[in-house]
Amino acid sequence: MTKVIVIDDEEDIRIVLKEIFTRAGYDVRVASSGDEGLDLLREHGADLVITDIIMPGSDGVETAYDIRMEFPQTKIIVMSGGGNTAPLGYEPAAINTTAYLASAEAVGADLTLTKPFDREELLKAVRELTAD
Amino acid sequence: MAGNLKSLLARMILAVLLIHALVLPLLSYAMIVVVRNAQEEVFIDHVRIYSRVFADWLQAESGTLSDADIVAGLDSSILGGRCVYAALSKGDSRLFSSLTEPGNSDAFKEDFEFGDHDDSIYFISTPLQLGDEAAVLQLGFDENPTLQEIANAKDAILLIIVIYLLVTVGLVVLLSTLLSRPLNRLRRDSHKIASGDYSRKMAADSSIFEISELTRDLENMRSTLVGINARLEGEIVSREAAEAERRKAEIHLRHMHRLQSIGTLAGGVAHEFNNVLLPLLLYTDLALEDLPADSPVRPNLERVTRLANRAKGLSEQILTFGRPTGETMSVVPDLAPIIDEATSMVSALIPKSVAIETEIEHPVGPVSCNPNEIQQLLVNLCSNAFQAMLDDGGEIRVSAKHCEVSPEFAELHPRLEPGDYVCLTVTDTGEGMDAETLERVFDPFFTTREVGEGTGLGLSVVHGIVVKHNGDIVFSSEVNVGTTVAVYLPLSDE
Repeated sequence: MTKVIVIDDEEDIRIVLKEIFTRAGYDVRVASSGDEGLDLLREHGADLVITDIIMPGSDGVETAYDIRMEFPQTKIIVMSGGGNTAPLGYEPAAINTTAYLASAEAVGADLTLTKPFDREELLKAVRELTAD
Repeated sequence: MAGNLKSLLARMILAVLLIHALVLPLLSYAMIVVVRNAQEEVFIDHVRIYSRVFADWLQAESGTLSDADIVAGLDSSILGGRCVYAALSKGDSRLFSSLTEPGNSDAFKEDFEFGDHDDSIYFISTPLQLGDEAAVLQLGFDENPTLQEIANAKDAILLIIVIYLLVTVGLVVLLSTLLSRPLNRLRRDSHKIASGDYSRKMAADSSIFEISELTRDLENMRSTLVGINARLEGEIVSREAAEAERRKAEIHLRHMHRLQSIGTLAGGVAHEFNNVLLPLLLYTDLALEDLPADSPVRPNLERVTRLANRAKGLSEQILTFGRPTGETMSVVPDLAPIIDEATSMVSALIPKSVAIETEIEHPVGPVSCNPNEIQQLLVNLCSNAFQAMLDDGGEIRVSAKHCEVSPEFAELHPRLEPGDYVCLTVTDTGEGMDAETLERVFDPFFTTREVGEGTGLGLSVVHGIVVKHNGDIVFSSEVNVGTTVAVYLPLSDE
């Protein structure tokens, strides 16, 4: 059974993704931060990790980098809400997530997804990466 | 009146009158005194000579003259019109002319000056010898004719003075008129110049050296001032133009800054929004999966999915405005097919009351662009144009052609640089926009349509696309005439 780890700081997203992957027949575990996700990966291993890019603590780019360094075979999908993440109206320090996604790809993410995506889009991407 | 009293003419007349008021009384008094003295001297000389001659005759004839002869002699002096009184005192006796008026018999008073005693008679005593006997001839002469002559002379002097005064005043009027004519001309000219007619020449024609010099100097000053004024006006015009351009550029820049901050804000909102939309869509999807096919809840959940997808579309539009979407750009050698496709798509969607005309150069390019976004841009602009003509119908004209952006135009639109561009314009014959609306057209969520008819994101998206393509967008609009939107896209070198 293909093992998937979902990393997102939003509980609602963790729950729904877990449900989707479970129904689709994946062995899925969820983590609320990059560090927790890495712990899970070390403990249980995974074929694919899907992680949010903007999170407190180590963000998606760092997580993708750490996974790629430690587990070169594990596939990584990085997802983002698009736009930017600066506090409202705060500029020019606004972080452009498009650039962030590009950084994640540069450190080894296999695919980026922009929220909101639908179930088919997600499962299709996962299937392609894990060659199920 | 005060002004008249201060005029040159009035001043000169007043001055002349004042001088004459001081001088003429003295002069006339002196003349009258001289005339009077002369008349009196003549009178007294005459009286003395007459008395002496008469006394000498009596003295010479004293041996032969009887008292009756003497009285006859005295009578003849009165008859001759010379005297009004004639008497001879000889010892204790006095001989009177029989023609002496009764009132004058004892009137004799020795006069030492003309006019003494107020009796109008000048009495003179002349001593003589009648043989051995001393006698005194006493004659009284009428002063009235001499007084009359003095009075006549006085009148004549006054008359002459009055005539002299009148002539003098007349001459003063004449002179001052001649003098003030060129001055008045100068005054009128300078009034005209002061009221703004700088072309008025100072041309007072006068033979008076000072006035002609003054005129020449003033004319030199005027022509210098006209030159300076023209230069200053030119400077003001160019400064005003520069200021207007600076203001326009400043407004444009401020507008861009505002759009940038709105973009950042919108990007932040979209990010949060997408994080909410993702579980919303997915949970609904899962719930639908769990429901039996005939569940009454299903249509409602399907609506939720549809609405969430609509929200997803909105969020995508916001991101198009806020940030480049990352879609790839490629060099398109000719935009014409892309534009044709967009206009046919639009014409299929809008009612027949709105006609679409196209005027497109073939080829028009090359332009580095994302064809999908260019189509979206045109669809949005045409959609706005159509919305502006919803009530009465009209015409949308889409044109695409090469154009050159001049340095002056580029200064007004800082996003553009002088050089070659493709200019896409969409013109409608709709209701147009006022200045206030024009100022806000790019603001996200700003719409003039009814609630529910528009999102207010159409032009924001257009703006995002244009900025991404390093172009600029220029609006010109007139209320009730229509709007033209011109999009400038830089020509690619490749």
